[in-house]
Amino acid sequence: MNASGHGFTTADRVLPVFDLATIGLVVTMRKDEALLSADEAGRLLVAVAAERDRAAFAALFGFYAPRLKSFMRRYGMSASAAEDVAQETMLLVWKKASYFDPSRAGASTWIFTIARNARIDRLRKEGRPAAIATAFDPSDEPEGPASGEAAVMTAERDERVRNAISRLADEQADALRLFFFGDKTQSEIAGELGIPLGTVKSRLRLALGRLRQILDDLK
Amino acid sequence: MIKHHPSDETLFRHASGTLEPGPRIVVAVHAGGCPVCAGRIGEFEAFGGSLLQEIEPEEMETGALDRAMAMIEADSSGRRKTAPAPRLARADVGIRLPEALEGCGIGPWRWIGPGVRWSRVTLAGDVDANVMLLKVAAGRRLPEHTHVGSEYTHVLKGAFSDARGRYGPGDLDEADDDVQHQPIVDDDGECICIAAVEGQTKLRGLFGRLIQPLFG
Repeated sequence: MNASGHGFTTADRVLPVFDLATIGLVVTMRKDEALLSADEAGRLLVAVAAERDRAAFAALFGFYAPRLKSFMRRYGMSASAAEDVAQETMLLVWKKASYFDPSRAGASTWIFTIARNARIDRLRKEGRPAAIATAFDPSDEPEGPASGEAAVMTAERDERVRNAISRLADEQADALRLFFFGDKTQSEIAGELGIPLGTVKSRLRLALGRLRQILDDLK
Repeated sequence: MIKHHPSDETLFRHASGTLEPGPRIVVAVHAGGCPVCAGRIGEFEAFGGSLLQEIEPEEMETGALDRAMAMIEADSSGRRKTAPAPRLARADVGIRLPEALEGCGIGPWRWIGPGVRWSRVTLAGDVDANVMLLKVAAGRRLPEHTHVGSEYTHVLKGAFSDARGRYGPGDLDEADDDVQHQPIVDDDGECICIAAVEGQTKLRGLFGRLIQPLFG
């Protein structure tokens, strides 16, 4: 665990983003500790859906709730708000488990979309202008049976994206991890580094372009 | 055939949930009819899933699991009810609106200038978002305008062109704040778009001055 409690680690190695290490804006990843594999998480979700399995839910909660809390902190939420969203997300996981389709998305991706929408709902209720009605909510009702090709694509998509991230240069992967959490972070990075926001944006575009290239190559 | 898509940056922000409410709904409308963009959003959501899987956890408060278990028991026994969302008024605007707009309020067409009408789109819970339908008569030229923050325009019917290209049904035009454009609608029919601008009440220029009082 790192001191901030909500960063990422890669086998205990702290990865600098640009030269952000010097200003304390560091994103660290952990890959050393797989407490719950994607497949296991998927099986637990299916058990929750099919049997209302409380032990399976508790196992999912144990793994995901602290990660959701950390995730929400990265979006700039207070500890108590992040705790609330983590709780709300896990309750929605319980309620919506029957909509989880392992052929369409991995467990972490599915839970992420629920958490993202829960955050949007919360911002909306607080009257903050950073979100909309969940008009496009892939965690909701399935859109009907996936066509053969689509089913294959979605099933291998998580794996392909993980693979692509691992092929990105470290600083580009780190840049995307930072940018994922919003514009405020971009402005902060620009301010902290004393470089124009446009430069930060162009770095993001470069990193996204590279990710796109790798993803398309892997298709 | 869809020719114009949102940028990867916009789709990335859409997937992460950090795109503003107005642009988000316009991108959702586009992705609802564009398998390419829906697929890209799915990839970026998988990026989010991968981040969630690998993020350093932050300890939950004492008793968090017990509270969660109590909540699911209450939920299972049906004691925890959520009120249905209030329905917003929807005027008939003469075309079938995309699924992504279900739940949004749709105002009646209002005259805004010769050959140009607009209808306000209200997002449940986000009443301040600047989203509108625009209906422009065949051959009509919109006033030249610039804007602060990107402008997202998705074509629902008809087509328009500007110096950067031609935009038909299903196309999304993402115009940066440095784009100065003067769209012209095709001669053979009216054009209906859904449009949103990033930033609250920041519309500027001639177009902005036309629209601004209506949003004020």
